[in-house]
Amino acid sequence: MSLAQLRAAPLGAWTRFREHHSRALATVLTTAVIAYVAWKIFQSPSQALQFAFNGLPVGAVYALLAMGFTLVYSTVWFFDLYYGAAAALGAYGVFYLRSQDFLGGRYDVNNHFVNIAFALVVAGVVAWALHVNFHSRLRTRLSPTALRAVGGAPSLAIGVYMWLVLANPNQLNAMLSPVIGALVAAVAFWLLHRGYGRLADNSRPISVLALAPPAAALGSYCGFLVAATPDANLYLSWGVSCVLAGAVSLALYRGLYVYMRLRAKSPLIMLVASLGILLAITAITTIIFRAAPRPLPEAFGSDVWTVAGANIKGFNVFAIGVAMAGFAGLLLLLKKTAFGTAVRAIGDDEEVSKVVGINTTVVIAVVFFIGAIFAALAGILSGHDTAIQPRMGLLLLLKGWIASVIGGIGNLHGAIIGGFALGMIEQFGIWDLAGEWKDVISFVVLIVFLSFWPQGLLPRR
Amino acid sequence: MALSSHAISNLVRRTRDFTERPRFAKGNVELWANLLIISWAAAFMLWQGVGFAITVSTVFAIWAILAVSLNLVVGYTGLLSVGHIGFFGIGAYAMAILSSDASYEQLRTEAIPTFGWPFFAALPISVVLAGLVAVVVGVAFNRFRDDIYVLVSFGFAVIAFNLFLNWRPLTRGAFGIHEIARPEIGGWTLSGPFEFLVLALVFLGIVVLISWFIVTSSFGRVLRAIREDEQAIEVFGYQTAHYKLAIWVISAMMAGLAGALFGSWTSFIDPNSFVLLESILLVSIVILGGLATIWGSILGAMAFVMLEEGMRFLPFLPPEFIGQARQVVLGILLVLLMLFRPQGLVGRFRL
Amino acid sequence: MTTEVDPRVFALETKAISKSFGAVRAVDDLSISIFSEWITCIVGPNGSGKSTLINLLSGMLPIDEGIVIIDTVGIRVLRAHETPEHGITRTFQEVRLFDQISVWDNIMVGLTERRLFPSLLERTKSRHEAKAEEILRSVGMWEKRDAMAGDLSYGQRKLLEIGRVMALDVKIYLFDEPFAGLFPRMLERVKAILKEMRQQKRTIIFVSHNMDIVRELSDHIFVLDSGALLAVGEVDEVLGRSDVIDAYLGH
Repeated sequence: MSLAQLRAAPLGAWTRFREHHSRALATVLTTAVIAYVAWKIFQSPSQALQFAFNGLPVGAVYALLAMGFTLVYSTVWFFDLYYGAAAALGAYGVFYLRSQDFLGGRYDVNNHFVNIAFALVVAGVVAWALHVNFHSRLRTRLSPTALRAVGGAPSLAIGVYMWLVLANPNQLNAMLSPVIGALVAAVAFWLLHRGYGRLADNSRPISVLALAPPAAALGSYCGFLVAATPDANLYLSWGVSCVLAGAVSLALYRGLYVYMRLRAKSPLIMLVASLGILLAITAITTIIFRAAPRPLPEAFGSDVWTVAGANIKGFNVFAIGVAMAGFAGLLLLLKKTAFGTAVRAIGDDEEVSKVVGINTTVVIAVVFFIGAIFAALAGILSGHDTAIQPRMGLLLLLKGWIASVIGGIGNLHGAIIGGFALGMIEQFGIWDLAGEWKDVISFVVLIVFLSFWPQGLLPRR
Repeated sequence: MALSSHAISNLVRRTRDFTERPRFAKGNVELWANLLIISWAAAFMLWQGVGFAITVSTVFAIWAILAVSLNLVVGYTGLLSVGHIGFFGIGAYAMAILSSDASYEQLRTEAIPTFGWPFFAALPISVVLAGLVAVVVGVAFNRFRDDIYVLVSFGFAVIAFNLFLNWRPLTRGAFGIHEIARPEIGGWTLSGPFEFLVLALVFLGIVVLISWFIVTSSFGRVLRAIREDEQAIEVFGYQTAHYKLAIWVISAMMAGLAGALFGSWTSFIDPNSFVLLESILLVSIVILGGLATIWGSILGAMAFVMLEEGMRFLPFLPPEFIGQARQVVLGILLVLLMLFRPQGLVGRFRL
Repeated sequence: MTTEVDPRVFALETKAISKSFGAVRAVDDLSISIFSEWITCIVGPNGSGKSTLINLLSGMLPIDEGIVIIDTVGIRVLRAHETPEHGITRTFQEVRLFDQISVWDNIMVGLTERRLFPSLLERTKSRHEAKAEEILRSVGMWEKRDAMAGDLSYGQRKLLEIGRVMALDVKIYLFDEPFAGLFPRMLERVKAILKEMRQQKRTIIFVSHNMDIVRELSDHIFVLDSGALLAVGEVDEVLGRSDVIDAYLGH
């Protein structure tokens, strides 16, 4: 056989082009985009800065969404679409809690069904947390009935408390002041304890009695301070609504996804199920709040700052700060704590993590909790920036999904970069188009990205 | 050395899969689902009278065409597309623009092109247009799989909706297009609801026949194999990209047909009929009815329409919340199905 | 090479093919020639590039460098869906059946029309059915023909996968660990099938770790180590070499 007999196998023209020139095409595309932006900046620097100032807060919202989304995804490897509902729940939670005061109570929607439903969810989550922490320790010492009472009473109490909090949104500061006081006291005590341990030699352990009074004093002072500040209600409602969205997410994971994942052969099962949850929650939100867009009450930072001829609201700067802080916090949590190690281990191989003694259910449930808090924060921030409507959940979900895919699914750094990048791309994209094409731009960007950089900007490992 | 560790772990995984996987519960569930939904539909129509039955059946026929067409993609090929409403909308808008009455348009300030074609001239154009768009979209989407496919198909639905809403010189945006032509056969206009129902059912019959022809052919077998393992079927000499593209285009054309029918039936369309949510509802219908069976999609559409109509008669439900309540029920049904019956009521494919 | 060179042609040759995953060169400048109508075995320690080689030869991975010559046709870019045209098919190390379609359809997929439009028009054909029945009987799965492939036991799945490639009438069969995880009776069955295929003048390339089977079946053997060719030749001679034993036992 000689080389003369060789003939090349035929190739389709398009395939050949794609295979040999996709990198070149991608480069051309990138260059074109950069050139366009550069041209725009050159044309009108102050306007470009204005577009950047518009894009950054939007990007911050997307980045928050993408971070939570990617955290959950890289742990359980399915897309949890409840995530969108969490964003809507966060925003509507704030609206719900403020609706008695806000706009003269015209949209007061506070009702017992909702309050009791959320109280039940919270009670359930607390009961589960107690179970996880104490069941194995107390099982040998107490009878099953006593065990049930020990677990049930506090969770019932917390459930009732939650109900009371939700039923009295106008007294949010008074209702929550004990909790805040206790939290501050606990943190102060922990810091003191730790600080003492660092400073003094460890041979002489300090008595709890010596540290408790100052911590308790600080805590009660803070509690009273909050109770005396009705203006804090709005910001307290942020916290409550984040916790509620997180609690629902945790309950969904523990109550539903755990069983489903045992059977699910493909991630699509989980995706479709969570799509069902998203549908149901969106519809319930519409029933309670109606489909029309609603404003959220004015938060701080409505005054406008002017930098080099471009305007940015103080609240938008705050939103960017929240995204940065969320990123830093998540990074610390994942890189520095045992919890973070467990999360990464589960992401790598859940079975093996189970074998080495990680309680995967608990860790994943907490991941869902954190993820939903990020979503709720994003929902609240975007709600204050524009307006809220029930279908915002789906849109925010899609944007967060796109941002995490652009950044590289499963990569936290990629998520924040992808989020800000998407926000900027949207804003610069509508410079010459009308604002209504924003969604189209982000999806076109997504499809282009997936075609040329399927791994995203920063691939996971 | 005979058993490599890999093979052993593989073996263990296989046996576990085998023991844990719920088996197809044929028979009972399917029988009861069929009986319940059909008898419910029949009883309801008998109770409500002819006019109601005709309206509901027309809605059902359009949803059923959509569901059957989507099942070809989702159930048989395993591509979970959430963007099908886009093709429905393209069909409807093509029909609207081609056949809407020019005299009405002249009254409007913001004129859009109108042609005043008869229904049966506009219909093939609408269908072909949906197919042409599907070729472009399909080529772009062919490389994606599983959850990323879901995301990009969401994207298609969003892009299509935004085009309907914002391409005002062509679609007149949120104002919609009026006076879309009714079908006309040899000078006889099918203006009555009953005549239109017959036409819609005829088209449903054609779509079902075509789908049946496809899924029982060798082509259909290849589609199911693609759904199971695309790489493996490629080694057998099938160019899977072409197969996926072909079924995607066929399915889109059927959806375009449904859209054209819908536009002609309502004689007025606006972008609100083609929102993303409708697309999700359509996917729920397909999954609810049953993946990879044609009858399942028909049953799903029937259940969906009957669900809405049934809710009209719930005393405690204000009429403006019917759509939402239906959505809640569908959402919960989706969760339950994924838990207990991932193939849907009468399906042959577990997601 | 063996001393007694027959006038046989090579069914398959690779000329300096390479494949890298990042910094790892899984297949490194490998040139092998497979005699047609022989059973050739590829052995090597784990990670020596056997599976990568099979994936390259079946077009499931693109070849970075080098050329594959199949039946005197040189191919630079081998695509998975073109391999049956070139006369190659394969099985998978991890059995990959079409789980949610029936055993019958799993076989039929290998027999029916490949082109798009003819396949749309093609209904069941009696010659396909006859062939499918023959294959199912020969692998002993005729009674199971209506079962879902996913519901079969591991051994049955392995047999069905072999049956599935038998449906393709090609010259070269690549078997990736066909004997892994089988209990003795199934093992005998697969061995018999392979021997029978050799009788039918097919070229068989298989990967295995079971040295007894390798000794029993193969006419020719390639030993890979770190993606490169370590030894080639007749079974007993090669497996007796000290460097081969070293490669297996670790350096």
